[in-house]
Amino acid sequence: MRLGNLTVCAALALGAWAAGNAAAGDSAADTASNRLAREIFRELTEINTSDSLGSVTAASEAMARRFRNAGFPAADVVIAGGPNEKKKNLVVRVHGSGQHKPVLLLGHLDVVEARREDWTTDPYRFVERDGYFYGRGASDTKENDAIMVAALLRMKQEGFRPDRDIILALTADEEGGCCNGVDWLLKNRRELIDADFVINTDGWSVRSEKGVPIMFELGATEKLYGDYYLSVINRGGHSSEPRADNAIYELSQALLNLSKYQFPFELNNVSRPYFERLAALAAPQRAADIRGILQTPPDAAAVARLSREPSDNAVMRTNCVATMLGGGHAPNALPQAAHAIVNCRILPGHSLQEVREQLIKVINDPQVSVRFVTYAGKVTEQDPGYRSFAPPPLRPEVLEPLDRIVASLWPHIPVFPSMSAGASDAIYTNAAGMPTYGISGIAIDVDDVRAHGRDERVGVAAFYTGNTFFYRYLKAIASP
Amino acid sequence: MMVSFWRSVATVSVVLATTAVHADAASQEASNRLAREIYAQLIEINTTDSVGNVTTAAEAMAKRFRAAGFPAADVQLLGPRENKKNLVVRLRGSGAHKPVLLLGHLDVVEAPREDWATDPFRLVEKDGYFYGRGTIDMKNGDAIMVATLLQMKQEGYQPSRDLILALTADEEAGTANGVQWLFRNHPELVAAEFAINLDDWSIPMVNGKALVLNLDATEKLYADYQLAVTNPGGHSSEPVADNAIYTLTTGLNRFAAYEFPFELNAVTRAYYQRRATVETGQRAADMRAVLEESPDPQAIRRLTQNAQDRWITHTTCIPTRLAAGHANNALPQRAEAVINCRILPGHSPEEVRQQLITALANPQIQVRYIAADGKVLPTAPAAGALPPARVLPEVLDPLQKIAQQIWPQIAVIPFMAIGASDAVYAMAGGVPTYTFGAVTYNPDDARAHGRDERLAVDAFYKENELVNRYLRAITAH
Repeated sequence: MRLGNLTVCAALALGAWAAGNAAAGDSAADTASNRLAREIFRELTEINTSDSLGSVTAASEAMARRFRNAGFPAADVVIAGGPNEKKKNLVVRVHGSGQHKPVLLLGHLDVVEARREDWTTDPYRFVERDGYFYGRGASDTKENDAIMVAALLRMKQEGFRPDRDIILALTADEEGGCCNGVDWLLKNRRELIDADFVINTDGWSVRSEKGVPIMFELGATEKLYGDYYLSVINRGGHSSEPRADNAIYELSQALLNLSKYQFPFELNNVSRPYFERLAALAAPQRAADIRGILQTPPDAAAVARLSREPSDNAVMRTNCVATMLGGGHAPNALPQAAHAIVNCRILPGHSLQEVREQLIKVINDPQVSVRFVTYAGKVTEQDPGYRSFAPPPLRPEVLEPLDRIVASLWPHIPVFPSMSAGASDAIYTNAAGMPTYGISGIAIDVDDVRAHGRDERVGVAAFYTGNTFFYRYLKAIASP
Repeated sequence: MMVSFWRSVATVSVVLATTAVHADAASQEASNRLAREIYAQLIEINTTDSVGNVTTAAEAMAKRFRAAGFPAADVQLLGPRENKKNLVVRLRGSGAHKPVLLLGHLDVVEAPREDWATDPFRLVEKDGYFYGRGTIDMKNGDAIMVATLLQMKQEGYQPSRDLILALTADEEAGTANGVQWLFRNHPELVAAEFAINLDDWSIPMVNGKALVLNLDATEKLYADYQLAVTNPGGHSSEPVADNAIYTLTTGLNRFAAYEFPFELNAVTRAYYQRRATVETGQRAADMRAVLEESPDPQAIRRLTQNAQDRWITHTTCIPTRLAAGHANNALPQRAEAVINCRILPGHSPEEVRQQLITALANPQIQVRYIAADGKVLPTAPAAGALPPARVLPEVLDPLQKIAQQIWPQIAVIPFMAIGASDAVYAMAGGVPTYTFGAVTYNPDDARAHGRDERLAVDAFYKENELVNRYLRAITAH
C-alpha cells in the first residue's frame, strides 16, 4: 500500500500537469471565489466565538444568512443545537443526484481564548499584514470554515449538481466547553449529518519547511486528547510565617519532574509508514535519523535527535505538558491550594487511566493528586472513558482525487497518511461509524504553528491556494 | 469559673454589699457577653475585598455607639469608597492628657467556603474554639474594643484623655487602606499621643505556659513581587522545550532553597536578651550565643530551627499566588507568581528585588514590584523601614502589671512584628504605635489567613479582660 501510493504519485505527474493547465482557464472564477472566501473569513474572524465571551450561534447565523441569500431553501439551512443559546451549530445541505451516499464536511466555528494584551493586534479583528492574515482562528479553523462556505456558494452559483448530497456542518465546542456540536448532532439529529464518509478540515495538510511545501498529510488517525488536574492542598497560614511545606513549591516540584520526563518512543501502523516515506524526502542527516528510528531496536541517539523537533516528537510518543496554573487566594497568605492542568496527547492504543498512572509515578509525591478532566471541563476521579479509534481504511474515492489535485497545485509533493498529534471532532464521527479523513489545503510552516497561541496567522497565498484546492477537491469527490 | 463564683455569692442572701471584686466579676461577665455578641455580628458580616463590605460592619458598630448615647458628631463614618468606609468614634475624656488612638481593621482575608470545614462567615463555637474568618485577625480585637468603649459609656466612666477608636478598611488587601486615608484626609480625627493597635497575637504558649507577651515596637516591611514569564505559546499537541510554566516553576524550585542572611537589630537584640531570661537550657544558651560579637554558627543553626526565631532573624519571601495559561489545550503564553516578602528593618524592597533576581538566576523570569495600590512597577522603593519607636513607659508598665494579673509568670518584651500592620501608616503620621494582641496561641497552629481560622474561647475572654483593664489603666486620672 505504501509503495502503491508512491507509484500513484509518480504515475499522476503527467495528469497533474494537465489538470494544472485546465485550472488556468478558471482563474477569473478562482479569483472571484478568493475574494468571497476572504470576505467570509473576515466576517467569521470578527465574530468572537470563544467559550468565555463569544457566541458560536452568531457565526452560525451569519453563515446561514449567506446561504439563504444565495438561494438555498430554508429547509436546507438548519441551525440546531442544545439548550445553550450561544452554542448553536449550522448544517447546510446541497442536494445531489443521489447516485452515491452523502459526504459530510466538518469545521468547527469556536476558537480558543485569546487575550488582547497577549496579542500584537486585536485577535478579533481581521488584519492583513506582510503576507499574512492575523486573527484568532486564522489557522484553527475559520480559514477552512470560510473556504467550505465559499465552495458551496460557488457551486450553487455555477449550478453544479453533485452526484451525492454534500452536507456542511459548522459546529460548536471543538476546543472545549459544555456543548460539542458534532457529538450533539450525532446524538440528537443524526439524520441531518448522516454520511458515507467525512472530510474534516480541522488541520493543515500541507506541511512546509521554510516556506517550501514538502508533503500533504492526510489525517488517517489521531492521538487521544486528555486533560489532567493536578492539585495540592495545604493548611495555608499567614505569609509572614512561611514554612517548608508550601502548596506552590510542591506543585512546582511535581511539574519539574514532569518536565524532565519523556513517554516511551513508539511507532504504530500509521506513524511507521509515515516515517518510512518521510525518509525518502528528508535531508541526509534527517533521513539517516529517520532510518535509525525505524530500525529494530531503534537507534537511541537518532530517537533523541528527532525528539528535539516538536512535530516529529509529537508523532513518536505520548506527550504531556502543563498548560494552566492557579494557586493561592491572597498575596499575604500562604497558599491553601495550587493546581495545574496537564494536557496529554496519547498514542492510539493507550488509555487515559494508563497515562494517569504514569503521571502519578513520575510526580512521585502522594501530596499531589492527579485527576481527569472531562471534555466538558469537569474534574473527576473516574476515567471518562474516551477511547482512541483504529485508522479507517483509505478509500479510493477519497484518495485518488486527492492525489490528482494535490499534484496539480503542489507538483512533486507526496500524499502521506498521517497521525494527527492534535485531537479533533473526528473522534465522534469515527466512533459513529463514519470514516473520517483530515484534509485541508492550507500550508503551514512547521516552525510557525501559532494555532492556540498568540498572533495566530495564515499566509495570504496559502489561504488562496487552500481555497482553490478545496473547491476542486470537493467537486472531484462529488462529480458523476 | 467566674460564673459559678458569682452565682454562689449571689445565692448567699446575707451579702450586704457588693465588693469591688464582685463588681468586677459581674461587669466582666457582662462585658464578655457583649464582646461575644459583637464578635459574632462582625464575623457574620463578610468584609473581604472581593465580595464583602467594610461599610456594613462599620455601620453596624456605629449603630451600637449611637444607641449607647454617643453624640452623632463623635461617631463618624468616612472613607473614599462606598464599600470601604471607616468608623471613627471618640469617647471624650477630661483632657488631662493627649488622646490615645485605638486601631483595628474590619476587613478580613478571602475565605473560599470549599476550603473550610465550617462556613467562614458564621461564628461557630466548637470544642473550646471560636471558628470563622477573622476570629483571630482581628474581629476579636475589634469586638473587644467596641465592647469596652460601650461599657465605659454605660458606666459613665470618664477617661483622663480622649479614647479614639478607628475601625478601618483594607489592612489585608485592597487599595483603600483606612488608616492611611484617615491620616491623609482627616488627621484631626486621629491625632494622638500614641496608638494601640490590637492587630497581632502576642502570647506564644511555650510548653503550655504563657511566659512572654510580645509588644511590637517595630515591624518587618511588607513587599509583594510579581514574577512573570512570557512565551509565544502555541498548540499543546506539539509541546516545545521552552515552556513558560516550567521556566517559572523551575525558578520557584530553585528559590525554595534560598535563605536570606541571619541578622539582628536593636529591637530583636533587646528581645533575645529578655527572652533568654525566661528560657532554659540549650535554648537560653543559644539566645545568648547569637548575641555575641561574632555569633557561633551552630547556635544560629539550632536557634533558627525554630520557625518563629527564623522569621525574627531573617527577611523571608514565599510564593503565595500562581497563575498561568489561557486554555487547557494551548501552550501557556504567560506564567505569573506572586512572592510575598517580609523585610527586616533597614533593608529596602529594591534591595530584596535584586536578591530575588540573583536567587532565581534566570533572566527569562521578570521580577517586578507590586505597589500597595496593585500597580506593577519595574523597580521597588529604595527606602527601607522606619526606625523603631521608643517604648513609652506609660504604655509598657501598665501592660506588664495587668498581664501579670492574668498570667502571673508573664514578661512583656519589646518585639519586632514579623507581619505588617497599619502601624506603618500611623507611625508615618507621627503617632508612635504599639501593636499587640493579648491572645495566647499555639505557634504550631497559626491559622490566621488560612483555613478554619480559630481562637480559643478562653483566650478571647482573657483578651477582653486584659483590654478592658488596660484601657482603663492608660486613661486613669
